[in-house]
Amino acid sequence: MNKKIISILSLFIILVATAITFSHFNQSTTDTQDSSSYNDATDEQIDEEIDDSFLDEDDEIEIGEMV
Amino acid sequence: MISFSSLAVADEAEEASDIVSATEETNIDNETVEETEIMNNSIGAEIRLLQLEKAITKNLLKGERAVEVLKALGHNTSELEAILDEMRLLLAEVQEADPEAHDSVQIFVDLKSDARALTKQFRDKIRELLDDAKLNEIREQIREMTNDELENYSKRIRNRIRQLNRNQLHRLYGIIGETNETLAEEYENGNITVGQIKSQVCKTVNQMTKEKKNQIFSELKEYKIRRKINAQVSADDAATNFQVREQTRLNNRLQKAETTNDAQLQQQIQNRIGNKTNNGNGKGK
Repeated sequence: MNKKIISILSLFIILVATAITFSHFNQSTTDTQDSSSYNDATDEQIDEEIDDSFLDEDDEIEIGEMV
Repeated sequence: MISFSSLAVADEAEEASDIVSATEETNIDNETVEETEIMNNSIGAEIRLLQLEKAITKNLLKGERAVEVLKALGHNTSELEAILDEMRLLLAEVQEADPEAHDSVQIFVDLKSDARALTKQFRDKIRELLDDAKLNEIREQIREMTNDELENYSKRIRNRIRQLNRNQLHRLYGIIGETNETLAEEYENGNITVGQIKSQVCKTVNQMTKEKKNQIFSELKEYKIRRKINAQVSADDAATNFQVREQTRLNNRLQKAETTNDAQLQQQIQNRIGNKTNNGNGKGK
């Protein structure tokens, strides 16, 4: 009887430990993915920086209208 | 390779730079500070001075046309003509400015400020003389005004901008690690537009690995922030002693006016000197 209780208890502990480990591992992976996507420059951001590197050929400066 | 932590620091610097711009807006306006960003080399400085030359020439032509209309209506235009005469002296100063001078940013900021002040003086004066309906009529007549001189300016400016962009393209190639000389030559010869250049460079970069793209982004961002900070520092330098330099310019113009025997022009400049002395607050534009 005692052996049966100890076996069930051990199995329960193993299951809980596995669940906690899995949960923890899964959380770390998600964090890493979030961090990675946060750090990566998007194509739009890069395009914007490239765009800013050039001056439009019809660029003008404004000093106001005479009338 | 620049890390993202250094990029974050650079971002903070960019924000700090914006704050400086905001607090010193009474000195040099943000638009002018942005315009000086390309003046870190002689081609950029030449572009800004040429653009200022073109803007003053365009306003002179419009002013002359407005004066013709006013004369036809029987108005006394002597004060307006004196403003245009001072604008001509200013135009000569812009034409004489050296884009390779170490203080070219300061010269640009000073002369642009004068151009804006004279334009506003002309605008305010003509509004005293005409009602809204007549002003609108003149605006319509001068809106699309163009001539060979302005066209020539546009061509020279476009040519210089192409040189500046070609240099930028080579700088980008240095960062990317790939070169397309055919594209650069085609652009320089005017066979393709700057839009096509941008599109081609974006396409090349977008096909690269994530790591390479991050590296390129970091370097581009760092360059832009450094350029913004340099422009702000130059603008702050230009804000120092702004009023003293303005007074000197007006005195020099008055001396030139005295050699022309143009009494109305002398009066115009003397009035401006008097106004600056009375309203002196050490602030620029």
